[in-house]
Amino acid sequence: MSDDAENPCGPTPGTGKHDALTCQRLILECLLDYESGAMAEDERRQLDRHLAACPPCGQFLTSYRATGKTLQMLKPSDVPPALASAVVAFVRSRSRKP
Amino acid sequence: MSEGQEKTDLDLVRGIKAGDSQAFEEMVQRYHGRVYSLSYGVLRNAEDAEEATQDAFLTLYRKIGTFDESKKFFSWFYRVALNTAYSRARRRPSLPTVAIEDYLPRFQSDGHLAAEFPDGGIPVDDEASLRELASRAEGFISELPPAYRDVIWMNDVEQMSATEIADVLEISIPAFKSRLHRARLYVRQRLSEITGPPARVAAEAAR
Repeated sequence: MSDDAENPCGPTPGTGKHDALTCQRLILECLLDYESGAMAEDERRQLDRHLAACPPCGQFLTSYRATGKTLQMLKPSDVPPALASAVVAFVRSRSRKP
Repeated sequence: MSEGQEKTDLDLVRGIKAGDSQAFEEMVQRYHGRVYSLSYGVLRNAEDAEEATQDAFLTLYRKIGTFDESKKFFSWFYRVALNTAYSRARRRPSLPTVAIEDYLPRFQSDGHLAAEFPDGGIPVDDEASLRELASRAEGFISELPPAYRDVIWMNDVEQMSATEIADVLEISIPAFKSRLHRARLYVRQRLSEITGPPARVAAEAAR
């Protein structure tokens, strides 16, 4: 994101400095961007350092990734084969056209 | 239109406005699957989702005159479809939803994650357990409050882009990201609960 004010993991606006990275900030505010790769290199390095030094956060990241992998298995539900013609017939029955 | 060239959404919109029934049928062919799946995400029932899909296209047909052609058709129609599914959902007994804040990770007063972190690993190594977990995850998604459920469903199941989802729901990108992340944290928590190491939790409880 280009707007730092909208980026809780970026430097504090106007100071150019990062707030202290607590587990809370990492997990609640930064993890999505970290995982999606939408994070500046210096911010990423700051998170990497925390993760390497903090086993609970490392463990949390593992389970967050496993959740992402699980969610990737979800597929849109199968569409009933006759639905398109049923929709057209329904709309026709409720209106003169089409 | 020259042969082999696919009509744009706007071509079809103009055709429907002009009373061209073939344009309407093409629009149904193009979007009925996605509208059905979106409706299914809200209603969790095939029959209701089919009826909501029919209603959404009826609304499309009746209200197409109000569609502003300078806007994206897709976002407008998805909003129509979502509202149609919600009005159907309101007509039946509502299912309970969870308070998402109760399932977010807890921190100490200094912002650190509790050292005694009772989660187990979520086993994603073999296909069968992954499939089983995915089915449980779908159930957990359905328990979420609608603001979170819609976002995670559109993103992770429908594979819609952040911009598309923010546009349909009329929310900002930061709001989209915050909801998606919280929804995933919820699913992570629930999956950890069913796969966590009971021995350790039991040992802590007995302490």
